[in-house]
Amino acid sequence: MKDKITKISLWLMVAMFLLAYPKLFGMYYVNLFVTFMVFAVFSLSFNMLLGFTGLLSFGHAIFFGISGYGTALALRHIEGIPLFPAIGLGVLAAVILAVVLCPVVVRVTGTAFAMVHLAFGQLMYVLALKLRNITGGEDGIGNFPIPNVSLFGLFSFPLKNNPVNFYYFALVILGICTWLMWFFTKTPFGQIQVGIRDNTKRIDYLGFKVPESKSVIYVTSAFFAGVAGSIYGLFHNLVSADGSLNVLVSFTAITATLIGGIGSFFGPIWGTAIFQILEELTIRFTEQVELVTGIIMIIVIMYAPRGFTGFLATLKLKWQLSRAKRRG
Amino acid sequence: MDATTAMYVSQAIHGIAYGMILFLIASGLNIIFGMMGVLNLAHASFFMLSGYFCYQVLKLTGNFWLALLIAPLVTAIFGIVVERVFLRRMHAFGHLGELMLTVGISLVILAGVKFFWGTESLPIPVPEALQGLIKIFGLEYPIYRLFVIGLSLVVLLLMVLVLYKTRLGMIVRAAVSDRDMVNALGINIPLVFMVVFGIGCWLAGIAGVAIAPILTVFPGLADQVGMDAFIVVVTGGIGSLGGAFIVAIIFGFLSSFGIQFVSQLAPVLMVGFMALVLIIRPHGLFGVEE
Repeated sequence: MKDKITKISLWLMVAMFLLAYPKLFGMYYVNLFVTFMVFAVFSLSFNMLLGFTGLLSFGHAIFFGISGYGTALALRHIEGIPLFPAIGLGVLAAVILAVVLCPVVVRVTGTAFAMVHLAFGQLMYVLALKLRNITGGEDGIGNFPIPNVSLFGLFSFPLKNNPVNFYYFALVILGICTWLMWFFTKTPFGQIQVGIRDNTKRIDYLGFKVPESKSVIYVTSAFFAGVAGSIYGLFHNLVSADGSLNVLVSFTAITATLIGGIGSFFGPIWGTAIFQILEELTIRFTEQVELVTGIIMIIVIMYAPRGFTGFLATLKLKWQLSRAKRRG
Repeated sequence: MDATTAMYVSQAIHGIAYGMILFLIASGLNIIFGMMGVLNLAHASFFMLSGYFCYQVLKLTGNFWLALLIAPLVTAIFGIVVERVFLRRMHAFGHLGELMLTVGISLVILAGVKFFWGTESLPIPVPEALQGLIKIFGLEYPIYRLFVIGLSLVVLLLMVLVLYKTRLGMIVRAAVSDRDMVNALGINIPLVFMVVFGIGCWLAGIAGVAIAPILTVFPGLADQVGMDAFIVVVTGGIGSLGGAFIVAIIFGFLSSFGIQFVSQLAPVLMVGFMALVLIIRPHGLFGVEE
């Protein structure tokens, strides 16, 4: 009972903080936090594959990017489309892409899975640059109209050029996504996911359909990556190949998950935060994003393979041990 | 011979030349994978690095042959250092860790290259002896492409000889099939690993120098050509040299004829081919199930 009260009050405090965040900090940090939320959700969707199913993808940005492009194209070309259907169209594009890729990707594992995604990612990147009449080439699609947020005419507020409104909008959408993903890992199906990671053969013998389960997980992961990508495109009012399809976008998710800790649900959120703080600090001294990402990856893999949550778990264990000792 | 045939033949030669270069990179990747079980994603970066070394040697001495000799060797030494400092300690943490570590290394190399040589593409002149066209059977071929094909064949032959006719080759082949047993027989496996890694990087280095005059050297080189090489390895079956050879040549043709006929879709062709192969055979054309 006491635990429950502390838990609820803790969540309330977090919620209060998030609500008051734009009042407490300046515009710059509001924008930074939106970026953080987008990449946290993107990394969570990536970790659905890596941490919970044991599939390492080097091209998760394809879903992030295609959804951004989908939303941007919908808003540009369809006259008077409301916001949510536009986001829905982008996410639908990501889901369709995932469904198309499924027959190939669920049959390969390990290194081949990673490499196939690297290839698909590169392909999408090249296509986005080459199909200039659709995607705008290097310039991407920018300055598309962003309609007001409205739900069944109940309320309506503008997003364009209004970072604070956008902050709350992103907070709600991405918060719901995070909760849904958390919920997903707790369902029986989420347990099958972990089973596939740990012992694919046994799951197979138990009568679960491994390729089909993997497909469902894959499509779900693409869905959430798509939501993140769509929000990211709206946030910048720009989708470009370099911003959302580049292999570095995929690597951002990988690095964040690594830093946070593979296999822990909240790991990628911690990881994204730490990665962003590190980037924020180093960017003042150097423009080399690749160098920073690379060095962080090497250090984490070599010296802290379980990431930040692993570190926390070790601390907790030590604390419990010392408490147990004190009690005798 | 009429113009159409001539065009086909010259495109075929371009295809073979590119395929051979892909194979040089892919074979290094494959040997290293066979020995250590790790797909070295930094391999393409070594390939690019060798192109830059070649540029540097040319800038200092102006001698292409010297560059062809030195750049791959320096690349091999660099690779050995990377293996000793990073990869050797990593075998404990499983393949995904190794894979990501090599990604980290490739990112650092990319940043280093941009730092030292800048982001613009650096032209490398074709050496004088290999400039121009040569006439065979009334057809004109660019000499340099033929040279690339010849060079790759010589290197390939050398590799086959080393692999099948020497003691080192015997140990390597034995270690590929059962590493622990060879180690138990008293052979210094870490040393063999190091040598093999060096040879793999040397092969990538040769490819890097060979392709430099054709494509120039730029920081995206690793992505552009390396990606093709990785696709070759995955499609041919990871660890299979013969598969890599066949697929590399097919990809060379796909690339050169693809640019000729469907230039917009050229990059799609290879990935499409890979997808097709993996749907039918998830472990690649000549791969064996792990």
